[in-house]
Amino acid sequence: MTDPPRLAVNGLSKTFGRNRALRDLSLSIAAGEIHGLVGQNGSGKSTFAKLLSGFHTPDPGGAMLVDGVPLRLPTRAAELRDRGVAVVHQDLGLVDRCTVVENLRIGAFSANRLSRAIRWPHERELARATLAELGHDIDPRARVGDLSAADRATVAIARALQHQAPGHGLVMFDESTRALPRASLDHFYALVRRIAVRGGSVLLVSHHLDEVLALADRVTVLRDGAVTGSSIATDELTEGKLIGLMLGHSLRQQPRTERARVTASAPGIRAQGVSGRLVRDLDLNIGAGEVVGVTGLVGSGYEELPYLLAGAARASAGTLTIGDNRIELVGASPRDLLAAGLALVPERRDEHGLALSLSVLKNVTLPQIGTGRSKAWIGSAWELQEARWVVDQLGVRPADPQHRVGDLSGGNQQKVLLGKWLRTAPTFLLLHEPTQGVDVGAHDDLITAVRQAANEGSAVLVAGLDPAELVALCDRVVVLREGRAAAELTPPITADEIVVAVYGATAGTMVHRGGGGHDGP
Amino acid sequence: MDPETSRRPNDASTARVASSDRHERFPVRRQGRARKELERYWIIGAWLVMTGIYSALRPSTFATIGTLQTVLGSQTALVFLVLALMCTIATGEFVDLSVASLLGLSATVVPVLYVFHGTSLVVASAIGIAIGAAAGALNGFFVVVLGVNTIVITLGMSTFLLGIALLISHLNAVSGLPPSFADIAVANVWGLPIAFYYGLLLVLVFAYILVFTPLGRHMEFVASNREVSRLAGVRVNRIRFGAFVMAGLFCGVGGVIVSAGLGGFDPSSSVGYLLPTVSAVFLSATVIQPGRFNPLGAIIGLYFLATGELGLEILGAAGWVADVFYGAALITAVALSSVLGGRAS
Repeated sequence: MTDPPRLAVNGLSKTFGRNRALRDLSLSIAAGEIHGLVGQNGSGKSTFAKLLSGFHTPDPGGAMLVDGVPLRLPTRAAELRDRGVAVVHQDLGLVDRCTVVENLRIGAFSANRLSRAIRWPHERELARATLAELGHDIDPRARVGDLSAADRATVAIARALQHQAPGHGLVMFDESTRALPRASLDHFYALVRRIAVRGGSVLLVSHHLDEVLALADRVTVLRDGAVTGSSIATDELTEGKLIGLMLGHSLRQQPRTERARVTASAPGIRAQGVSGRLVRDLDLNIGAGEVVGVTGLVGSGYEELPYLLAGAARASAGTLTIGDNRIELVGASPRDLLAAGLALVPERRDEHGLALSLSVLKNVTLPQIGTGRSKAWIGSAWELQEARWVVDQLGVRPADPQHRVGDLSGGNQQKVLLGKWLRTAPTFLLLHEPTQGVDVGAHDDLITAVRQAANEGSAVLVAGLDPAELVALCDRVVVLREGRAAAELTPPITADEIVVAVYGATAGTMVHRGGGGHDGP
Repeated sequence: MDPETSRRPNDASTARVASSDRHERFPVRRQGRARKELERYWIIGAWLVMTGIYSALRPSTFATIGTLQTVLGSQTALVFLVLALMCTIATGEFVDLSVASLLGLSATVVPVLYVFHGTSLVVASAIGIAIGAAAGALNGFFVVVLGVNTIVITLGMSTFLLGIALLISHLNAVSGLPPSFADIAVANVWGLPIAFYYGLLLVLVFAYILVFTPLGRHMEFVASNREVSRLAGVRVNRIRFGAFVMAGLFCGVGGVIVSAGLGGFDPSSSVGYLLPTVSAVFLSATVIQPGRFNPLGAIIGLYFLATGELGLEILGAAGWVADVFYGAALITAVALSSVLGGRAS
């Protein structure tokens, strides 16, 4: 190889506090190559994307070279543009209110020398030329919000390409297909191939393994911030092997403790035909005492489901039956569902979960204030008792019910949040990422508390991304894809099985275990 | 070291190991307790110091029962305004700027109806109160239902209502309410006008509601985090709307009592009530329950400010002193309440 690679990354690392998000990443992308970058959530993909786009500053010692010439770190937008490096972000980064030409040329407008006014005819001509190069005829004066999804993708890609001379440059797609409907994917793939044919290089960051295997020439796999598979030619790869590399053996397997057997006769909950922004016509039954996990890729709808069922997000269709109580979800308020015995532990505890400026005691008792007791007098003994229970059972530290919640650590806040809803003795308990951002000790306390609730007869739904957490908590895991249930996993469930079902195009692909994790680098 | 700190290692060893938080907060909190008490009651000390200085400078005029009667007895309008402003601020709205004009309109409507249109006092008073509630509901409609910024709406409403009051009064002070009607406001009870006791009673009831009832707790949560409240089943918008209506009612009732006490009302005077009201309410977040707006603190703040102003007047300061004094007091109060972790923002 005499020519330097289009992009060479040498020993790039990024540390956040004590956490090394990216360790010693090395990567090389040739001219005209489509290179895939895959890994689970938290494996370091987005960190790298943010290092390349200049959002983060890398740790000292690493280097990034374009055509053999090093980039100054952190990278600067102007330099990236001059060197032909462009990034297409997850949501395509378009402003719907503005026109095509405005979106395309923003940051590069040319002005009349005298009046300093933008030379619109010239700008429109440039935009038209760039779009024509991609083989598309889109009116530069059209509002981007009025375009079809395929045309929007074209505009976003055209913007990335406009500063690149043919045969030069690199475009990184950071999960760009997430914003695209299925129908326009083929169009998108054709555009990506066209870039490579012109001699440009593509770095494709994606969760969709089928997409990566179909498009990319070579793939690099990240796990826990380190490379586990370096520039493997896709000809030699299968989806199963790729998943094996993503998984490795780093997953912590939680020992499953015996739990009370679910009695089929006990009434649980029944959700029927639930639809929302992401979820499509979903049916779900959970028995009393059963813990069911829902997971999937971001955008698959698993993250919306708890809020739809709790009345916190607007449902467009569906009913929920809790015990004998049948509730129409369209137009239902959280208040209606609380009254029916539901409790929601939301993901964003600072925004949706707890009033941070108030005490542990007040936060814990809030759902019970004003229900059934006197309207003229709250009383104090029962409140203290409730707060004490939460503090003692879940091990909140400091063990002071009057402590301001905002002054607690994340793990302790999460305990207060869970305790607050456990005290309502819910028939149906919904949790979204219940142990996110929580240290190991608090993690185990929380898992124990949720299982305890199930053993006492609650139907529990856990929406989350972390396979290890789902394995530790759940009797059954439902995997969503495009708003529908794509797979249902029953015991014995392993984390690997969940990952396969989430990332694999076809559920049930066999994981290439053992060897896969090691024959990469 | 005090016994609390020496016992700590023992506590820690029996604590659950699983927890990540250390006990390092405890010593800080112990030292902080004394300071907290000081924070709660600083205003009493400041009041005493201020009174002492004025009394020393003007022993014959300031240090008299008359001064006390003036301070306690002449704040009727402000007491009702403080209660009105407290309603919305305790549910997390930013300052409702329309309260003073609203009270002014009600206080103008009563003499206008009685003197110009011959309406009976009872009907005139009822209409005055109803107008207050209706204007409060209008505020609530814009802020809660339509979601418009509180400051903008109430600023507009303030000017609008003042204009209406000037219109119906033909730009003049209106007087001519019968002296017998004045009894509902100024009848002497133990040396003070009866209106003082209305205010005291309402403040105590308000404070009770905020601290001891489910409604008060819900208001506290709505002020702290609306989404958390909604997800916990609190009727957030009902409480916010209710707060505006309640504020209007306080203004309406206050307006009737003020006009009765004065025998009429000068609509252009209502503007001057706003700043002392806001100052007192923000002072409340620095006393009694630091960091939280509370009615008792606001009333104490009000009398504190009134004492300060009266003293300066007795010392011979000219008409500008009220502006400078209340302006400075507002800035100090807002800054202090923000520093003390208030919800001023």
